[in-house]
Amino acid sequence: MKKIWVVLLMTGMLISPAWGADTIKIAITGPFTGGSAPMGASMRDGAMLAVTEINAAGGVDVNGRKMPFEVIERDDEAKNERGALIGQELASMTDLSGVIGSVNTGVVLAGDKYLQEKGITKIITPAAGSASMTQWSKAGVPELSIFRFAADDGIQSAMVVEDAIKRHFTKVAIFHDSTNYGVSGRDDLMNQIKKQGNKLQVVATEKFNIGDKDMTAQLLRAKAGGAQAILIWGIGPEMAAVSNGMAKIGMKVPLIGGWTLCMSNYIDNAGKNGDGTLMPQTFIEDPITPKAKAFIEAYHKAYHVTRIPSPVSAAQGYDAVYIFAAAVKQAKSTDTHKVKAALEDLREPVKGVIATWNHPYSKWNPADEQTHEAFRRAQVVMGVIKDGRVEFANESDRKQFIENAAK
Amino acid sequence: MKRLLLIHGAEVIALLLLSAIPLVVNNAYALGLLTLLAIYGILLIGLDVTVGYLGQINLAQAAFLGLGAYASGLSVSLLGFGMISALAMSLLVGLVFGGLLAFPALRLEGPQFALATLSFSALSETILNEWEGLTGGAQGLQISRPALWGHPVTAQGFYWLCILFLVIVWLAMRNLLSSQWGRAFEALRDSPIATDAMGIGTYRHKIAAFALGSALGGLAGGLYAFNFQYLQPQSFVYELMVILLLGVVLGGRKSLWGALVGASLIALLPNLLSNRLLFQIISILGFGIVLISGGRGLIQKTVRPFQAIAPMISMGLLVVGAALVTNTEDWRKAIFALMLFSVVVGLPEGLMGFAARFLSRIFHVPPAPLPSPASLDAALPAKSADNVPLLVLKDLKRHFGGVHAVDGISITVHSGRIHGLIGPNGSGKSTAVNVISGLYTPTSGSILLHGKPLPGNMFRVARVGISRTFQNLQLFTELSAIDNVMAAMKGVYHSPLPMVLLGLARREERRAQSDALALLELVGLQRQARVCAKDLTYGAQRFLEIARALARKPELLILDEPAAGLAYPDVSNLIKIIWDIHQRGITIILIEHHMDVISELCDVVTVLDGGRVIAEGSAEDVKRDPGVIEAYLGTANKITAAGVQELSANPG
Amino acid sequence: MITAQIVVSGALMGLVYALVAYGFQLTYATSKSINFGQGELVMLSAFFSLTLLDWGVPYWLMVPGGLLFGVLLGLFVERAAVRLALEQKSEGWILLTIIVGLLGFSAAENIWGRDDRPFPTPISSDALHIFGVSITPVEISVAIGVFALMGLIELFKRKTLLGKAFEAVSADREAAELMGISATRTVMLSYGLSGLVAAMAGILVSPITTVGPTMASALILKAFSVAVVAGLDSGFGVVIVGIFLGSLESLTSFYIGSGWREAPGLILLILALAARPNGVFGKAGIRKV
Repeated sequence: MKKIWVVLLMTGMLISPAWGADTIKIAITGPFTGGSAPMGASMRDGAMLAVTEINAAGGVDVNGRKMPFEVIERDDEAKNERGALIGQELASMTDLSGVIGSVNTGVVLAGDKYLQEKGITKIITPAAGSASMTQWSKAGVPELSIFRFAADDGIQSAMVVEDAIKRHFTKVAIFHDSTNYGVSGRDDLMNQIKKQGNKLQVVATEKFNIGDKDMTAQLLRAKAGGAQAILIWGIGPEMAAVSNGMAKIGMKVPLIGGWTLCMSNYIDNAGKNGDGTLMPQTFIEDPITPKAKAFIEAYHKAYHVTRIPSPVSAAQGYDAVYIFAAAVKQAKSTDTHKVKAALEDLREPVKGVIATWNHPYSKWNPADEQTHEAFRRAQVVMGVIKDGRVEFANESDRKQFIENAAK
Repeated sequence: MKRLLLIHGAEVIALLLLSAIPLVVNNAYALGLLTLLAIYGILLIGLDVTVGYLGQINLAQAAFLGLGAYASGLSVSLLGFGMISALAMSLLVGLVFGGLLAFPALRLEGPQFALATLSFSALSETILNEWEGLTGGAQGLQISRPALWGHPVTAQGFYWLCILFLVIVWLAMRNLLSSQWGRAFEALRDSPIATDAMGIGTYRHKIAAFALGSALGGLAGGLYAFNFQYLQPQSFVYELMVILLLGVVLGGRKSLWGALVGASLIALLPNLLSNRLLFQIISILGFGIVLISGGRGLIQKTVRPFQAIAPMISMGLLVVGAALVTNTEDWRKAIFALMLFSVVVGLPEGLMGFAARFLSRIFHVPPAPLPSPASLDAALPAKSADNVPLLVLKDLKRHFGGVHAVDGISITVHSGRIHGLIGPNGSGKSTAVNVISGLYTPTSGSILLHGKPLPGNMFRVARVGISRTFQNLQLFTELSAIDNVMAAMKGVYHSPLPMVLLGLARREERRAQSDALALLELVGLQRQARVCAKDLTYGAQRFLEIARALARKPELLILDEPAAGLAYPDVSNLIKIIWDIHQRGITIILIEHHMDVISELCDVVTVLDGGRVIAEGSAEDVKRDPGVIEAYLGTANKITAAGVQELSANPG
Repeated sequence: MITAQIVVSGALMGLVYALVAYGFQLTYATSKSINFGQGELVMLSAFFSLTLLDWGVPYWLMVPGGLLFGVLLGLFVERAAVRLALEQKSEGWILLTIIVGLLGFSAAENIWGRDDRPFPTPISSDALHIFGVSITPVEISVAIGVFALMGLIELFKRKTLLGKAFEAVSADREAAELMGISATRTVMLSYGLSGLVAAMAGILVSPITTVGPTMASALILKAFSVAVVAGLDSGFGVVIVGIFLGSLESLTSFYIGSGWREAPGLILLILALAARPNGVFGKAGIRKV
């Protein structure tokens, strides 16, 4: 029995690299099944949309030759162990040009070290947890092949706290789920409150588990403390249970939180109780530019939906592929090390659906992880939920976005 | 010789193959998968102790993996331990927590045991999550792999270390599980009551089995920590547990090879299924196999139709799916489920159970030879029958609520005698016996053996020299006849646990075997020594219980309706066996309905009715006692010879 | 007042645990087996009912449709995962029900998507305030539904011929078979009923919990705890234990901290089992040999 497996294992290894030679091989990884799948699958679908477009046009011009993308997908199930094994698998592929994906910070922490070891280029999207990048600045690595294409929690939490202060709140409650993302979001919020002058008093810090439906106890604690707003960090529909619970106990304060609040599993499930919820956004499913309109329509058509489960993930996946393609073109090579060098110094602007990306990354500096972060404060706006749709919270931001795209 | 060559040959080849792969294939992914395989191998061998040998659904092994992992991680990062001492720490943590959890779980079985272990898992996850100061909580714990005696360990070196641990665990567990310990674990699974009544002891073995399995879980956790170098509490939850359970059962329970095969399935399959071509090959191969084997089974009628057809449908679905579905990644769980379904339905004893049968047929592997039987004097030393009061019951009562099952009986059993205990159904015979043997505590009254009160607990009663059989058979059904007797063997096993683990206790094993053979010979079962107890004929099972009870070298043997359900020739065999035992000076209490058995054997007979003694004397005397006849026939009018006939013919 | 609110909210979740736990009891009674994929039954029935609503089937017609689907699923589980194991007197049903559940999960992900979706209901979810405690009509409907369904099934078991056969097999399988009752059919009946209970749970709680592939995975472990702690033959005992556990979780989260929500329940659970292995309301058996 044992031997059969060894034989299968070996054939497996022999088969995997046996691809055609004229393609740009990339891997898309993320949770495509299980609780985090709405983000993972939207990211993948957005990315595949870009791949299809590029391939339909003949592929990327690599040193005078048109080469299409070839994609392998790996479902990490949001499990660290799978993340590590997938990291090892991808790291052992000799002709892989790069990797795009990852939703869960834990998976990133478990798997990226194998890619970095081999210098394989990866663009993380949409995982936003701070630790994904700070692990490298803390370790002080001189060269880094990992890039991020997501508004990191540092930016997001700063905006959330800013917004709460701007609205003259003094007492807030922090709610977060018990995942890595939720807990590190809590820490980021606490840090930002301190950083912005301790203007907010945290009256309750409450946790909830994935799958929890009854938030009454936590909400009553927030209410008893006199919270004027709830700052929330979580990954799933449990946040809708918070909104619905507030309505039940007659607590009328706004919910302000991470970008995940824009996902349909929050908006739909919170229904009218979700109105007025605020969160930082990098993309809003609103056809403000022709490019955005085309993207949204193409997505709806390709995947037979009327709304993208997680528009931010989809748009980021889409833009990440275009940025990667631009790097391949500039590198004139599919070699992952050369692609990495090109990404660090992308000369031509890339027209994306979120914005036009001018020199998104620069040479890695261990003292400043911003060098490998694409998103700046300017590319992120506050969104607000109105009648089941995410809209710009401030009209000025809308104009700013149209400008970003036009640049 | 051929047997040893084959078995050890296979082990050596597997070991060489596993160790050599990194030398041939220079691939980090293959190495990662194989390392995981070795770690899961250790983990599943540990889980098999509770799932296979104890027969309980243990849902805590994932938690022990986690506790072990954190123990190693923290002892490196906080205490600066080296690799080996950190792993020892993990082992210790598993051992201690496993032992602790065993206490509340002792009395539990089936769903209750499953729930207790599940709760423990949830609790340990909560603690790992909430104790952020120590564990980093949900944000996880980054660990660096410590040096091994001052040498940094590469991925390849670490893999070999894992293999080394797997080999050590493999050898130690093989020694342990083929010793009295392994038999005791299985005894516990098949009949906890008999385990106590045979003086083997349920509690100590349940705790030992659980602690041991958990310790291996802890060790695997330590290796897991140094392999992945990043830990999060959420990795060790229910979902992983279910996969581990599947691994053990799919591989085959009660088998080290099974654990290893199970480990390869759960470590490799989910990852390999990502490769579409490989998946298609596997599904077509699998479909072919179930078509051929299922079809053959159907034609030869060796399997139930469902068992042949269901795997065909499920593998067929897989083949169709493989052709239709473009994105196999999305359907990975369903694919996994369909494959598992086919295996579980088609091969209920697991892959290795099936393979073992198949291979032993091909290679004609003979079972290990048995030693020649010991002399009966060694196995069952004769006692002098001095006819003094041995067991005294004084006004013994046992009530169940309002039911006075035993209501004040006083009996004296003299040593060396065969003391009959009869009475109509519901007269309290069995309850009396259950009280004597410690299963029930008496409501009042006292039981004295040699003038000293008996301990009120089956295990201790067995240890002071009272042995018994059961009206409803309580054999260790999955053990062979000889193992049943060996499990109960008294005064043979002296080696401490470390010696057993090192395989240095084989001599007493041989001794137990030859003693057991002598006892099997006494009851006429020497030719069926290797037959599994559940496959014996009903009569043989009854005799086996007597042989097993004799392995306790008892002073007092209680036979609870040994002739019930026996055919005629077996009854006369039984009479001869009981007589032989009597000849060796062993005192016997015989509960029977067969009056001819009673008349032929008993020196004295006590008759019970309604929980009280209504007559006592020789068999002939009590047969004529009007009170006895009334009790049996419900009326005193027909004090005739016919009544006596009726009485003797009444078996039930 | 706050305590009352917390207890009421927790108790409502507890009732849902109790209903799913009741589904475990039904099958355990006749066959000493449990469907470990019960959560997937809840989820699949809820998705199916949602699809009926999407097709424009009115709510009151959807309910029997959803329930029927649940019954069929229950029968499928019995045929595919349980019957063979029972015939072989093995515990293969443990794994097979898990495996069938896994298959159901994967199918649901691919058929209905991975996202959680709202479940429309004609019952209002605007809170009422009764003695200062906020409670929504949807929550009240859950409570009523749980009691009504359990009451009806208990009535069925006691008053109808089929129900009496059910009770007979639960009490003594061999004796019932000697009396001419088919144990296999009765086990089928129990799985069908258990599927019905799962579907009812799905329809009742979906407006609160939303519908998604993972909607029942947390619920199911709690329900299993409730069923075992109450005793797998305890009948209405699950309601008491369910309410107790639900309230305890809420109270812990309020007074100790939300991260420790489950801890006291888990510790009590282990202790309760150690003290009463057959469950708090279970019948303590006499060991007979």
